[in-house]
Amino acid sequence: MVDIVPLSSYPSYIDLLPSIQTCNITNLPENYFLKYYLYHALTWPQLSFVAVVRPKNGYAAGPGKEYPKVVGYVLAKMEEEPTDGLAHGHITSLSVMRTHRRLGIAERLMRMSQRAMAESHRANYASLHVRMSNTAALHLYRDTLGFEVEKVESKYYADGEDAYAMKMDLRSMWIDWAEIERVDKEKLRQQEKEQKKTDGDGDDDGHPDEGDEVGELGKKDADKMIRVKVGRALGVGDLVERNEAQGTS
Amino acid sequence: MPQQLSSKDSSLFRQVVRFYENKQYKKGIKAAEQILRKTPNHGDTQAMKALIMSNLGQQEEAFVLAKEALKNDMRSHVCWHVYGLLYRQDKNYEEAIKAYRFALKIEPESQPIQRDLALLQMQMRDYPGYIQSRSAMLQARPGIRQNWTALAIAHHLSGDLEEAEKVLTTYEETLKTPPPLSDMEHSEAVLYKNTIIAESGNLERALEHLESVGHRISDVLAVMEMKADYLLRLGRTEEADAAYTALIERNPENSVYYDALIRVKGIPKDDHKALKAVYDSWVDKNPRGDAPRRIPLDFLEGDDFKQAADTYLQRMLRKGVPSLFANIKTLYANPSKRDIVQELVEGYASGNVELQSNGSADKQANGDNKYFEASTYYFLAQHYNYHLSRDLTKATEYVDKAIELTPKSVEYLMTKARIWKHQGDLGKAAETMEQARLLDEKDRYINSKAAKYQLRNDENDKALDNMSKFTRNETVGGALGDLHEMQCVWYLTEDGESYLRQKKLALALKRFHAVYNIFDVWQEDQFDFHSFSLRKGMIRAYVDMVRWEDRLRDHPFYSRVAIDAIKTYILLHDEPDLVHGPIPASSLDDLDGAERKKALKKAKKEQLRLEKIEAEKREARKANAKSADGEVKKEDPDPLGNKLVQTQDPLKDATKFLTPLLEFNPQNFEAQSLGFEVYLRRGKFVPALKCLEAAHSIDAANPALQQQLARFKKALETLPEPLPAQVAEVVNSELEQLSSKLVKA
Ligand SMILES: CC(C)(COP(=O)(O)OP(=O)(O)OC[C@H]1O[C@@H](n2cnc3c(N)ncnc32)[C@H](O)[C@@H]1OP(=O)(O)O)[C@@H](O)C(=O)NCCC(=O)NCCS
Repeated sequence: MVDIVPLSSYPSYIDLLPSIQTCNITNLPENYFLKYYLYHALTWPQLSFVAVVRPKNGYAAGPGKEYPKVVGYVLAKMEEEPTDGLAHGHITSLSVMRTHRRLGIAERLMRMSQRAMAESHRANYASLHVRMSNTAALHLYRDTLGFEVEKVESKYYADGEDAYAMKMDLRSMWIDWAEIERVDKEKLRQQEKEQKKTDGDGDDDGHPDEGDEVGELGKKDADKMIRVKVGRALGVGDLVERNEAQGTS
Repeated sequence: MPQQLSSKDSSLFRQVVRFYENKQYKKGIKAAEQILRKTPNHGDTQAMKALIMSNLGQQEEAFVLAKEALKNDMRSHVCWHVYGLLYRQDKNYEEAIKAYRFALKIEPESQPIQRDLALLQMQMRDYPGYIQSRSAMLQARPGIRQNWTALAIAHHLSGDLEEAEKVLTTYEETLKTPPPLSDMEHSEAVLYKNTIIAESGNLERALEHLESVGHRISDVLAVMEMKADYLLRLGRTEEADAAYTALIERNPENSVYYDALIRVKGIPKDDHKALKAVYDSWVDKNPRGDAPRRIPLDFLEGDDFKQAADTYLQRMLRKGVPSLFANIKTLYANPSKRDIVQELVEGYASGNVELQSNGSADKQANGDNKYFEASTYYFLAQHYNYHLSRDLTKATEYVDKAIELTPKSVEYLMTKARIWKHQGDLGKAAETMEQARLLDEKDRYINSKAAKYQLRNDENDKALDNMSKFTRNETVGGALGDLHEMQCVWYLTEDGESYLRQKKLALALKRFHAVYNIFDVWQEDQFDFHSFSLRKGMIRAYVDMVRWEDRLRDHPFYSRVAIDAIKTYILLHDEPDLVHGPIPASSLDDLDGAERKKALKKAKKEQLRLEKIEAEKREARKANAKSADGEVKKEDPDPLGNKLVQTQDPLKDATKFLTPLLEFNPQNFEAQSLGFEVYLRRGKFVPALKCLEAAHSIDAANPALQQQLARFKKALETLPEPLPAQVAEVVNSELEQLSSKLVKA
């Protein structure tokens, strides 16, 4: 039985990283230090997924526990400096062990990652590269998932092979933020109203300090609530290992 | 009294610092030397120069100079800070922390020193120290969210959940308006707080909190998973049912979800009909999925099983899914299921298809039938090759039939190779896997397999040659160098095991140490994330990473290599002549030891020859490397492992592997057993006995125990000097206990 689970969100399967690295170097010529996997797992913990064979006794933790066998993974990220200025995801690496191919594992891994890109990071699209000779992967991306060829990148791979650069629009999976804000504001207004009523009644079964705060919040208008993103645009410098620029898939 | 600088040199010194920060090392050194010409004993300048030298790779000289700097100016925080940085470079974290502390005592307000200290405290898991540092940093700059989060992490990891939550809440309360939905740092911090509440055991409150904040959190899947998990554990079945249903709709390929769903629905384990109905409904909703089709095979019995298995097998065989058997074999733990599967597929092979299909499988065109036929033979080949249903003659028959129909199938040849392996013909196995590789030279998986089979057949050079088709061979050390650099643990382990089989202990140790070093690197890798993750704000993932790093070596990659290395060292201890290379075990006919002497001489000669070749290669590389990029890459001074094997004390070296093995894999019988062997040989009776006891509690019936106990007693009896009274007392009483347990068993 093969299960598709998140790499480093909830629950965390981050202890599978060494096995994921092995799966990669067994299947693909583009390889990375463990630190580069860590970098993905800790920067975009929502985007990467693992395919594991369920251990005989389930996923019990603790001493003597059995590590599940990794048979596939998708390692994904958000493009850090998108040349087109559009936030978008990128598939760094995808592979499935030959013993477990054609079970739909890669398809499921990809779908999970794409959805997370849209939901968590508001990615406009997902991009990837694939060897022109890789028919299995090309089928998967184009026919099963709906990616489109954007262009050919000549001599993209270290051995001189050309790559298709492919992409797929993800905006249909975006979360409706405006709606969330609207509902939240509505809720606040409601609370504020009730609070005013209770204050007027001189009722003391509530939490008076909280009342003030909520009241103040409610007065702010939506425009002022938009603030600068914190802790983002910080470079990673030495974390980016070799092959990064070269990319994969 | 420390020397003072002129005002002109003071500004020059500031420039040195700037050069260092901008990584303009050569200029930095030049400027420092200019100052030192006039003021040769200026501590701070010497320290800065030492720091730059260390960054240029001149670590030893840097240390000498840094010490001198300190002698000249014991009251300088710069000198102490640099001293700490050099120790940190050397990975001597304890000394580095001490030096930073001195520096901080002199300059309590320095943020860089405080930060460097904090990072090391985290790396060393000095939580009280880390809390102290983080409190100070927060006090200095309370306006930065990272400082609050960091303090919360410090409390959390030290086990003080309440304080951790309080810190996060305090910060949240300073927010006048809720941050926008795009603020992931906030989103993650809120979710982090939720995990802390849940960890404290108060799931009610965790759920309540999650319900009030969850809809604003960017990691949608995590919120769904957490909510479902809490509901399940709280026994709120109706809501849990909905939560797991939503999860399966998102990802139908996770058996954990189905398990939970069945649990909350309260369907009894033996109500197979009801269970099957649940899974069937998911098949309808998601016809491409595998899990809801496959899972029922686990619980169905008898005719129900037969019918479901029939449908499942035929569908997959028609599709030609090569991994079908991998997905079925786990059922074989139940012999009746194994027999049913065998009966069904044998039936397909003899043309009994429509008959058993119950009309469920749609009839296929003729072309597909050929596919079906080959897939069926292939399945049976794997079936008869599997240890629970093995019949290698039949396996060979079927695989040959499959190959006859589809001669270009990589999978079929792979299976043929595995059958050879099980027949004990490693040569034929490697040869056949090589044939499979040639059918698809662009697929690295089959390339890896071919190399692995060559290693199992002790063809190390051939294997490396295969691997080199996918490695970057221009790295130092060629293909093997690249495999080291890319941390290819499986290859290094298999290569080492092959050398151990060949009794080439030097190379075996070389590979095992390489893997050991990779684990060290992996542990070191976390260092940068102590600051990086605070900037990125993905705190849950960071905390999970820290906890994982604390048990990094419980991974089977480590235990396997540790066991290999310990075995190698024990062998080296027992047969010290192997230091010179493989020598056949002395034969009984060799009465005067003449043959052995001859073998030894031959081995030594071979060793010298190999060393000479290696030295020549190195010289050749040196000549090339310099001209290529100017920078001389570091050469491995012991590529053949000769220094490792020439150790004075093999058993002491073995403990380097043994200690983490016993710490992180105490449940491993072989680990305890090898622990016993090492400790016994080292005359450490108490730990030896402890290992024996642990082994006994893992597998009381293992025959090795009796024999080890006897050897232990004999070793005690033949001691040249009696044990110290206290030790003897402990040993004797424990020995008595263990003996009586073993007699009973
Ligand atoms: C490409 C790869 C990841 C596919 O993994 P997988 O789990 O077998 O793929 P799936 O079972 O999810 O296949 C989904 C779809 O992809 C297509 N596909 C997959 N393998 C295919 C093959 N060998 N030939 C043609 N189409 C194929 C099919 O359309 C398939 O749908 P179907 O089974 O309903 O017909 C796997 O072959 C692999 O790991 N290859 C080596 C590494 C690699 O090339 N990675 C991609 C780099 S860009």
